[in-house]
Amino acid sequence: MRAILSFWGAASFRGAASFYCAASFRGAALAVTLALPWALSAQTKSKTYEPSRLSDGKPDLNGIWNGPPVVNGDLQGAKVNGKRVIVDPANGKIPYLPATAAQVKKNFAERKQLDPVNHCFMPGVPRLMYMPDPFMIVQTPGFVGILSQFMHEVRNIPVDGSKHLENIDLWQGDSRGSWDGDTFVVDTTDFNDKTWFDAAGNYHSDELHVVERFTRSGPTTITYEAAISDPKTFSRDWKISLPLTLNTAKDAQILENECNYKMEGPTVTEGTRPDPHREAKN
Amino acid sequence: MRKRFLECSAGVLAAAGAAVVIWTWAAPQVKGQDAPPAPPQGGAPQSITPQNGAPQAAPEGRGPGGGGKGGGKGRGGKGAPAVPAGPVRRLPDGKPDIQGYWNAGGGGLFSIEATDARKKIGVNAGKGVVVDPPDGKIPYQPWAREKEIDLSENHTIEESDAHCYTSGIPHMVEAQSSFQILQPEGTAGYVVMIWEYMHNYRIIPTDGRPHVLPSTVHLFAGDPKGHWEGDVLVVDDTNQNARTWFDIAANFHSDQIHVVERFTPRNENQIGYEASIDDPKVYTRPWKAAFNINRNMTPGYRNMEFSCWEGEHDVTEKYTLESQGADPSHLPKK
Repeated sequence: MRAILSFWGAASFRGAASFYCAASFRGAALAVTLALPWALSAQTKSKTYEPSRLSDGKPDLNGIWNGPPVVNGDLQGAKVNGKRVIVDPANGKIPYLPATAAQVKKNFAERKQLDPVNHCFMPGVPRLMYMPDPFMIVQTPGFVGILSQFMHEVRNIPVDGSKHLENIDLWQGDSRGSWDGDTFVVDTTDFNDKTWFDAAGNYHSDELHVVERFTRSGPTTITYEAAISDPKTFSRDWKISLPLTLNTAKDAQILENECNYKMEGPTVTEGTRPDPHREAKN
Repeated sequence: MRKRFLECSAGVLAAAGAAVVIWTWAAPQVKGQDAPPAPPQGGAPQSITPQNGAPQAAPEGRGPGGGGKGGGKGRGGKGAPAVPAGPVRRLPDGKPDIQGYWNAGGGGLFSIEATDARKKIGVNAGKGVVVDPPDGKIPYQPWAREKEIDLSENHTIEESDAHCYTSGIPHMVEAQSSFQILQPEGTAGYVVMIWEYMHNYRIIPTDGRPHVLPSTVHLFAGDPKGHWEGDVLVVDDTNQNARTWFDIAANFHSDQIHVVERFTPRNENQIGYEASIDDPKVYTRPWKAAFNINRNMTPGYRNMEFSCWEGEHDVTEKYTLESQGADPSHLPKK
C-alpha cells in the first residue's frame, strides 16, 4: 500500500495532491491496476518496431494502458525518461497569448478550487491520457473506445470516415479516428472551455483542436503525440509527446475510481450514515 | 458535517433526480448529426421491443420474459414493419457476433418488481421484469421490505443514479439509453459494453479467468467475469457495493449480491437477457429478472457524450466552501 501512495503522491506533486492522495485511500482495489505498469515499462523504443496486428492488418492497440501520471501535475515542467513532454516549441513552454497568460497564473493560484478534475469533472483531451488512472483501448475495425478508470469516462472514436459534429461543445470533444499507415490518428474538435491540460492551471478555450497520434513503439509501449491548436489561447500550435505503457500483469483489470462518491461519502442506504429522517421523527 | 452535507445535497440531488427523469424522456432526441431523430415506428405505448431510440416502454410494460418467448422475428412494436431478422451473426471463430447498438426492453426502470401504483413516489402500477417468483415480487426478508418502503418514500435523494454514480447490475443493462457492444480481437477475449447513459461501461473477460478481487473490495458495477456456454454469454458478477438500487422505487440489495446473467442471442437483432440474483442478507430466496434486448435500428446511430456530474454548481460550491475551511454547520441553508 505504501508503494501505491508514494506513486500517487509523486503523480500529483504540484497539483491536486491532497485530493488525489485522499482519494486513493478508498480504492485498495486500484492497486491491482496501478502497481505494475511502470515497473514493467520497457525501454525498447524503436522506429522499426513491428507490432502485432489484428486481422484487418492494423497494429494491435488493445490493452490496459497508463500515461506517465507525472504529466498530470504540470505539463510544462514534466519530464519523462529525462525528456520534456512538450516537444514543440523547443523551450518546452506553452505559447500563451499575452492576454491569456494571466489566467494561467490565476488558475495556478486557485487550482485547488478551480481544477475541474478536483470536482470530478471529465478531464478532457489530452489530459485523460495521462491521468493517474489506467485506461483500456478497445479496438475494432470501425470503432475504437477508450475506457478510463477515472470516473468511468469513455471516449467514443468512430473510425469510419465520418465528419465531426457541428455546433456542439463537449467536455471530451468529438473524436474521429483514422489510420496513417501504422499510426492511429484521432482528430478531436467541439470542445468546451471547461477542462484543463493539467493540475497546474494550463487551459484552453472552446477553439481547441487536438490531433493525437498513437504509434506502437515496443512490446509494451505506444508513443503518444498530441498536436494542440487554439488560436484564441495560444500564439502558435504546440505539441506533446509521451509514452503510454501497457499493463502486462496477468490479472490486470480496470476497476472503479468513483471520484464523486469519494467526495460525498457514505450514505443512508449503506447504513453507515445516521438516517436524518428517523432522527427527525424521534 | 453531516448536517451540512444534507443541506447541500438535498436540493442538488432533487434537481439531479429530476434531470435524470427528464433526460430519460428527452435524450433519444439528442443524437449525432448523422443520426437523425428516429422516426416513430408505430410503437404502441407499451411496446416492449423498441428498436430505434424512440421513447421506450411505459413503466407498465413488461418484458416477455427470458424463457424464449417473444424472440424470433426481431420486430419493432405493434405496427412496425415485419422485417424478418436474419440468424445470429458469427465471428470468424464461430462465436456469436453481437456487436452494435442495442436497447433494453422491459419496464423495470421505475420498479423492477410488480407493483401497484405508488403515487407517493411517482411509480405507476406495472408488472416489472421479475419472472421468478411467479408473482413478480422480489422475495424480500420482512425487514428489507420495510427498508425498501422507507427508502423509496423518504430517501429518494439516495438514488444512486441521481448522484451520477456508475449503475449497478442488472440496473445498468436496463438503462434507458442505447448501449454498444464491442468484441475486440485478442487473446484475452473480451466483450465490452458501453452505455451512453452515465457513460457506464463493462469490460467482461470471456477467457474463463476467475474472480481475483478479495471479498472486501466493493464496486458499483461489481466484477464481471464471463464465458460462453454455446451461444450464450454467461456473466458472473460479484463484488458489488450496497450503494445502487435496481430502480427508482428503491428496490435494493446488500454488498453480498451475486448476479449471474445470461445473454442469449436469438437472432441478429435480439438478445434475451436474464439475471439470476441472490443476496442472502436481503432476500428469502434467489430471484430472476428477464427482458429482451433489441438492436437499435436507427441508421448511423452513435452514443453521445453524457455529462451528468459535470457542471454541477452546487458541487463546486460545496468543494470551494470546504476547501476554504468553512465550518459546515454554519453554512447557509439553501
